[in-house]
Amino acid sequence: MLHCTVKFCGGCNPLYDRGNAYRSIVNDLTGVAEFSYPEDGEQYDVLLILRGCTGCPYLYEDISATHRIVCASQAEADGAAAQIAKLA
Amino acid sequence: MMTKEQYIESLRKLNLNLWMFGKKIDNPVDDPIIRPSLNSFAATYEAAEDPENEDLMVATSHLTGKKINRFTHMHQSTDDLIKKVKMQRMLGQKTAACFQRCVGMDAMNAVYSSTYEIDEACGTKYHENFVQFLTRVQDEDLAVDGAMTDVKGDRGLAPSKQADPDLFLHVVERTADGVYVTGAKAHQTGFVNSHEVLVMPTISMREGDEDYAISFAIPTDSEGITLIYGRQSCDTRKLEEYNDIDVGNKIYGGHEVLVIFDHVFVPNDRIFLNGEVKFAGMIVERFAGYHRQSYGGCKVGVGDVLIGATQLAVEMAGCAKASHVKDKIIEMIHLNETLYACGIACSSQGAPTKSGNYLINLLLANVCKQNVTRFPYDIARLAQDLAGGLMVTQPSEADYMNPVTHDYIEKYLKGVASVPTIDRMRVLRLIENITMGTAAVGYLPESMHGAGSPQAQRIMIARQANMEQKKALAKAIARID
Repeated sequence: MLHCTVKFCGGCNPLYDRGNAYRSIVNDLTGVAEFSYPEDGEQYDVLLILRGCTGCPYLYEDISATHRIVCASQAEADGAAAQIAKLA
Repeated sequence: MMTKEQYIESLRKLNLNLWMFGKKIDNPVDDPIIRPSLNSFAATYEAAEDPENEDLMVATSHLTGKKINRFTHMHQSTDDLIKKVKMQRMLGQKTAACFQRCVGMDAMNAVYSSTYEIDEACGTKYHENFVQFLTRVQDEDLAVDGAMTDVKGDRGLAPSKQADPDLFLHVVERTADGVYVTGAKAHQTGFVNSHEVLVMPTISMREGDEDYAISFAIPTDSEGITLIYGRQSCDTRKLEEYNDIDVGNKIYGGHEVLVIFDHVFVPNDRIFLNGEVKFAGMIVERFAGYHRQSYGGCKVGVGDVLIGATQLAVEMAGCAKASHVKDKIIEMIHLNETLYACGIACSSQGAPTKSGNYLINLLLANVCKQNVTRFPYDIARLAQDLAGGLMVTQPSEADYMNPVTHDYIEKYLKGVASVPTIDRMRVLRLIENITMGTAAVGYLPESMHGAGSPQAQRIMIARQANMEQKKALAKAIARID
């Protein structure tokens, strides 16, 4: 089971529903990955970054994760579950 | 940080001396006129709890290292300044109203850096006082009202020359423990929803105005403070039996109050300026600069909602594909994003003050606000153009609910057949709310006058424009010695 966490951009003017996208990804990865919000000092297999648009540069380097999956559109979010599943 | 529920409960403990419609209001939290403004303010707490908004809403205190609400943060970088504007846009989108907490954030950032420089020049201890106050605000996640605008009386006279000395807030008595102040602050946004008020002088001052050069913070329910609630266009619709559709925005709103200080005590450790007249202008200029930046975020968020409502209205009317309609929607977007561009620009070009917190680029912040005095009016005009007359002539919700008239309204106010008539009525009332109802207070005249009326920005633009350099550029190209 992959140990995953998620960071949202903050949502000043998102081009898609990041919350729905996240819930869909979590649902698609049931039994493959477990998600929780970031905790200080925790090591994760995957950090999923859900940006509302391409305008945010942050990679959240303070969160320790082996892989970073960055989504900045609904299309990228739609492919995220498959990307993460390949890492299992 | 406080949760939304904890914040609302904390307001119940305040003992405000609040008056509205000729009556004392003992329970503002549950008052139907006031509650929407509380809901907007509470959204600043609720959003900080939501992981989807955390990256904008939560910052790390430079004083304690703790996680704090960004509304209590001293900006530590241009990135912080940019995130502030993004946060404001996001909250404007969520509330379609003024969420009121920006004024305290802007006041605190202005007073923080100013007190540092006053102490450096005068050997005072104001910065230490302010840091103590700020630490408590951050730790307890308090809501702070920033109070600058005096009622001003005769605009042609200095504070100390007014016929009535109380027309600018001033010190009326000095004791070993502190000072007593008397005066009034007008247009106070969010005061009823705040725990503390941070008072600042309203204009630059000169010798003779020493008693008027005063800045301090005290609880909003301090003895001697009286609040008189400002009424808004269409406000009593909230009291009607049917108050769902016709209010336009059922959940959120904003408010302003006239705040009277009648011999109010301020302890020494809560004073941040006391007679140093030459620094009054610094506080005013910095607060105004931050607040002019703010409007490049919050008004844009409300504009997003208005543009969305207008697009819905034209789709419901079946005219969304007309070329002039599409062009007007594009114009609304262009105007709105221009405001946002200015908010981001003045933030990205910010710089550190001597105290370490970051100040926006003042020229660009004033350009931002100058545009805000115009573009929301243009956006609102286009919204009203596209919404059509039905926005202001449609029957009331009570008539829609009346069995005698319901079917007529249902039949004759129908637009596109697949769209329920009631949905069309709701969207038109939302446009009415933002452009001429209760929310118009925040979206239009506040855009004009909040953070300073247009001429105030033009004076600052002239000061900051560096005209000598522009003339030198022209001379070089024209080959003039």
